[in-house]
Amino acid sequence: MLQFKLVLLGDSSVGKSSIVNRFVKDSFDEFRESTIGAAFLSQTVTIKDDDQDVTVKFEIWDTAGQERYKSLAPMYYRNSNAALVVYDITQADSLEKAQSWVHELKNKVDDNNLVIYLVGNKVDLTKDDEEKRVVDRDVAEKYAQENGLLFNEVSAKTGEGIQQIFQTIGENLYEVRKKENTTNNSNMANRAHGQVDIQLPRPSTNDSTSCCS
Amino acid sequence: MQRDQSRISYGGGKNNGLAKPPTLGPRLIPRSPSVPSLHGEKSFNSLNMSDPVLNRPIYKENPSKESRISNIGKAFLEPEYTPDIQASPSTIGGNSNLSVIDMYADDMESQLASEESEELHPTTINETNETSNTSSKLVPKFMNRLSLSTSSHDRNADTDDDDDENIYQQNQPIPKSPRINISSKDAEHFDRYGFKKQSTYITEQEYDIWWREYFQYCIRRKNKWIQLMEKNDLSANDESVRRFPPKSEKLKRYVRKGIPAEWRGNAWWYFANGQQLLDENTGTYPQLLLKIDHIETLPDKENKYPDLEIIERDLNRTFPDNIHFQRESFQTDEPEMIKSLRRVLVAFSLYNPKIGYCQSMNFLAGLLLLFLDEEKSFWMLVLLTSKYLPGVHNVNLEGVNIDQGVLMLCVKEYLPEIWEYIIPSNKHNNKNNLNKLMNSGFSSNHHNTRSQESNKNEFLFKLPPVTLCTASWFMSCFVGVLPIEVSLRIWDCLFYEGSHFLFKVSLGILKLSEGELLKSKHYDSITHYSLNGNQNKKSMNPEENEMELFQILQSFPKRLLNPNDIFEKIIFKKRITFNNLDQEEIDRCRQYVTDQRQKNKPLADTKKSSSHTNINNNQSSDNSVISNHSDTNYRNNNIHKFRSVKHTNSSEEHLPAGTTEGYGFKRSITSVNWNSGLKQKVRQIRGKKD
Repeated sequence: MLQFKLVLLGDSSVGKSSIVNRFVKDSFDEFRESTIGAAFLSQTVTIKDDDQDVTVKFEIWDTAGQERYKSLAPMYYRNSNAALVVYDITQADSLEKAQSWVHELKNKVDDNNLVIYLVGNKVDLTKDDEEKRVVDRDVAEKYAQENGLLFNEVSAKTGEGIQQIFQTIGENLYEVRKKENTTNNSNMANRAHGQVDIQLPRPSTNDSTSCCS
Repeated sequence: MQRDQSRISYGGGKNNGLAKPPTLGPRLIPRSPSVPSLHGEKSFNSLNMSDPVLNRPIYKENPSKESRISNIGKAFLEPEYTPDIQASPSTIGGNSNLSVIDMYADDMESQLASEESEELHPTTINETNETSNTSSKLVPKFMNRLSLSTSSHDRNADTDDDDDENIYQQNQPIPKSPRINISSKDAEHFDRYGFKKQSTYITEQEYDIWWREYFQYCIRRKNKWIQLMEKNDLSANDESVRRFPPKSEKLKRYVRKGIPAEWRGNAWWYFANGQQLLDENTGTYPQLLLKIDHIETLPDKENKYPDLEIIERDLNRTFPDNIHFQRESFQTDEPEMIKSLRRVLVAFSLYNPKIGYCQSMNFLAGLLLLFLDEEKSFWMLVLLTSKYLPGVHNVNLEGVNIDQGVLMLCVKEYLPEIWEYIIPSNKHNNKNNLNKLMNSGFSSNHHNTRSQESNKNEFLFKLPPVTLCTASWFMSCFVGVLPIEVSLRIWDCLFYEGSHFLFKVSLGILKLSEGELLKSKHYDSITHYSLNGNQNKKSMNPEENEMELFQILQSFPKRLLNPNDIFEKIIFKKRITFNNLDQEEIDRCRQYVTDQRQKNKPLADTKKSSSHTNINNNQSSDNSVISNHSDTNYRNNNIHKFRSVKHTNSSEEHLPAGTTEGYGFKRSITSVNWNSGLKQKVRQIRGKKD
């Protein structure tokens, strides 16, 4: 089993906890309590490598969205393998916040292999009323392409696209690990068990001493 | 049977069942028709058509003063109010909202209801103790319908105290109350405050089984309180309890065992000295409400007052499982409680711009509104954020970082086994690794050489990730962290004893979490590891261990349904050394951590976001509105006096060269009973390593 650390970032009430809740528990609450501090959850996905099933476990940090919590963020995203940067397609400001998170991640996380996935949430709100949308899909997608981010629009409420986010991230990280494994097999800590013989570097920062030494 | 109880406890329906525990039988009975209906029933009725509470009148406790407030507030804030309400402002009551506490201020209603209850609920009280006079007078008759025997647990709980309780043996069947209109189908799912009994971690059945016992405990405690009040010539009438006996060990014990739920709001107000603050600021809250009204008319209000939108987003995310905060599908208007919450939070953000609005304050204000009227809730929020949790909600969150540093010092001192999970002792032997590990989040590479002196207490300014969990305990004062009855017991003690109680509770939870950790697969290896200093053993990854602790800490407190599991098993146990922590020690630690963080600010701030760089500026100029940050103003008085012989070594080793400040725990002077052998051993090992 492979383990990856994933952090959710984004403005308050864009649906970070709802996305995690949909992914981990496959449920949705119209009103969720505001997240104070952080929550830590885990869930697995199974990906295919040829005819092999590979289990990928995500350790997910769900964070508080309010601006003032931002100073705590380094604690969440340190050593992260992936970041889910969420905005609300019905809130223009939230894309700006997302972009500032992307900027921060690119500046502060040394790992070139960090997978950043930009997610536009609440797509269900526009199904009946396209006017509720204030962030064009094209605009966000273009930004994502320019910055090398994965991108999709999803709905935590209906579940649309949620599983796929984690599936895609899992596959991406798996490919990266596989490549790394062939080139660099010595200094890495082995956190892989079971099905796949793969050397998984952890953490994803270049600081190799921070793993199980 | 349990259903009946719950139904009864909630019998008053919305806004009534809320703060009206079953111990308040009479209060649960719907309004007597003879009592005039004075409050905004129109709006209420429109909200809760089937709710008997809607017909309840609301009286003011202090018309001359509070009507002034409510008039100002209502006139513009609630234009939908019916003209008759505005025309008779003097009868509206001090509460411009419809918070539950309104009902508390209602003597007449209570009496009427009480009389009715006696008529309606002829009881077959069967008391087996000598306080039957008191209890028959004060215990709502319907409560005696419970045919429940007191558990041995409760008996044990009380035996260590001199205020031994009289235990009722109630064997009467519970008659149905004819006065309860709300369908049991709805009511049975909610507790006496309107919270859903069921949570992710607790089933409704578990709740009901526990409540059956705890309910009896509450009755017994209330009788104790009544006796205490009467001895002190104070009113013990639910509707007029305003003053409490002078502070004493006995009163502290009573508070620790729980203030009667129906007295809570007034008790908190009294112990926190809220009235003094209100008296010094008469008219402030009404003025703030006027200002809000003005702001509402501004076209660019969102830009000028960004907090407004953030507050707005959180309103419906505050106690979504509480009926008082929920909007029923048939309701067109939002619940009064949400309106009150908005006003309190917006008013606060205007009142104290240094804090503005911080997520978690919605839970503080929300809980206060369940027990106090709007203006008092506002001032209690002011007190909480200044006196009890200084700086915790500031824009830079520095206060919460300081408190987490203090908590880490306490864990290190009192819970070495847990500390091993947070900062394994082997880290001290490998400074480079330690630095890299701890810095990886903050990425200050040049830090390694600078911090050789101070990295022993590096955790004070580079807080370990577990504090992301414990920080929320402080920010929300355990609301939502623990089941509601436990949180309320903590609030009782917080307002009576001071903020150090939050640290005691935190340590208590951490201590309880040891049991959970024991179940974990890593426990044996880590214990073995720390005791033997076996550095070759690589069976665990420090980060994994901390995450394991984190996961336990974020979930298992939510299962602590019974307050006495933490109070009686931990807080009341004198032999658990951290229970002797006092405010002075915590204040000293806060000062120490504040100084340490300031000193290391250049290190901690390296490469951090700009929002984090003005920590100290904000901190020092924080008192623009409220100047009584007494908790943090504590200076290093008598530090040396408290730095014990035993603690000197470990205390010194945390100090950077040339530092004179320090902290010390008095407990080190006296005996350390809790696992002292292990602690000693760990110290020895550390001493050798160093």
